[in-house]
Amino acid sequence: MKRAVCMEFLKTRRRKLWLVVAVMIAVQLLWCTWSISNWDARDLTQGWMFFLYQFPMLNCIIMPVIAAVVASRLSDVEHKGQIFKLLETIMPSKRIFDAKFICGGMYMIGAAMGQISLMVIFGIAMKFTGPVPWFALGSYLFFTVVISLTIYLLQQVLSMLFINQMIPMTIGLIGSFIGLFSMFFPQGIQKVVLWGYYGVLMLVGMNWDQNTRIVDFYWTSIDWSGFGVLLVFFVLIYGIGRILFVKKEV
Amino acid sequence: MWMRVLKAEGLKLRRSPVWLAFFLIPIIPAFMGTFNYVNNLGILKSQWYSLWTQHTLFTCYFFLPVLIGIYCSYLCRLEHSNHNWNAMMTAPVPISQMFLAKLMMGAVMVVLTQIWIGVLFVASGMLAGVTGPVPFELPIWLLFGAMGGIVVCALQLCIALVIRSFAVPVGIALMGGILGIGILAKGYGAWFPYTLIALGMRANNPAADMVVSEVQFMANCVLFLVVFSFFAINWLSRRDVVTG
Repeated sequence: MKRAVCMEFLKTRRRKLWLVVAVMIAVQLLWCTWSISNWDARDLTQGWMFFLYQFPMLNCIIMPVIAAVVASRLSDVEHKGQIFKLLETIMPSKRIFDAKFICGGMYMIGAAMGQISLMVIFGIAMKFTGPVPWFALGSYLFFTVVISLTIYLLQQVLSMLFINQMIPMTIGLIGSFIGLFSMFFPQGIQKVVLWGYYGVLMLVGMNWDQNTRIVDFYWTSIDWSGFGVLLVFFVLIYGIGRILFVKKEV
Repeated sequence: MWMRVLKAEGLKLRRSPVWLAFFLIPIIPAFMGTFNYVNNLGILKSQWYSLWTQHTLFTCYFFLPVLIGIYCSYLCRLEHSNHNWNAMMTAPVPISQMFLAKLMMGAVMVVLTQIWIGVLFVASGMLAGVTGPVPFELPIWLLFGAMGGIVVCALQLCIALVIRSFAVPVGIALMGGILGIGILAKGYGAWFPYTLIALGMRANNPAADMVVSEVQFMANCVLFLVVFSFFAINWLSRRDVVTG
């Protein structure tokens, strides 16, 4: 397995996959800079909560795209030269599937780590009031990683099954938009949409006073039942996806 | 020769799944926008104009750049696979015509998308019970949106020519759309290709005039088109094709 994973990383050499992740994180950084450019003292007291509210919303759009791009890049390289045929004569299909998941998963974890680093650096540089909420940031990182890996898994299954990468890409994009839209709905409906879990597992809520136009953030409790459903999604996608790939004629 | 190149590009698109994206993707912002409108009738009182802001809010920044990104990646996908660039570059067809034919096909798809967006807008308004006549400016908004869309199309074609991947140019299109929100808010919308769609479609305030004059908008579109076309043709002429 170790060699199969190393091989996957070798295939991504000079393909600038990290650059894609870096560009998308840079967009989040720019968004962040723009959002906090006119902050006053009151806003700074809610800085950490603002980040923990804003980033999951951005993740709804950006992380599924990163997942779709990474999965497509890792699978397309095999489709183009019909390498799956060759690979399956060298190692079991299950191992190819797992190696690709580990390799792509590293990029997703890297993206989440990049985000959290940005949040901490920005928060400290901007002198947000109060201590750094390490527990909340750690929880955010953990949930972001689990959600992103599940979405990546789905994208990987689609990218491996379809030779034409337009189909998984379109499904991923439509999913991300539905995920963003699901935030307008009650949590029961949000939990049906895989891409909406960035909203389900948010640690911060927002109150907006229509008359004064003042925004207040507050801590929310973790939705463990939602997390349980997400794990069920992961297991189902992994199980079904791997079987479909193994049984697929290459 | 030109017509035959164009016909060849058309043939490549026949029965392709790109039409799936064409039909499905614009339905989502239409649904989201109408849902938003119906739930905020207390604040959104300008009937069709308010509905338009809700539709274009999602369409211009997220959906249309991505959709155009998909069109352009698809237009270049065939050439990037199976060593087809070798066949393309050795065909007795001027490179400029090759690129312009792709751009023309992209432009046709952008125009069709704008018509589809217009149809969805009118249908959503009727379903949402919006009273009054449909704004007479609607074709103008769609036309200017199409101009902006064609510029994005030229840029995305350049990106899709340089980056031999389907997904990466689409990702770049989404990032461009998101960045456009900030750039438009800062007032530099006319100078950033991805914001031309929102600017042309009057996404922020359809009742008012555009932030820049219509002449300047069109001049910027032409300028961007020339620059991107020049870059793409030059790129194809000077670079050795990498296929596979």
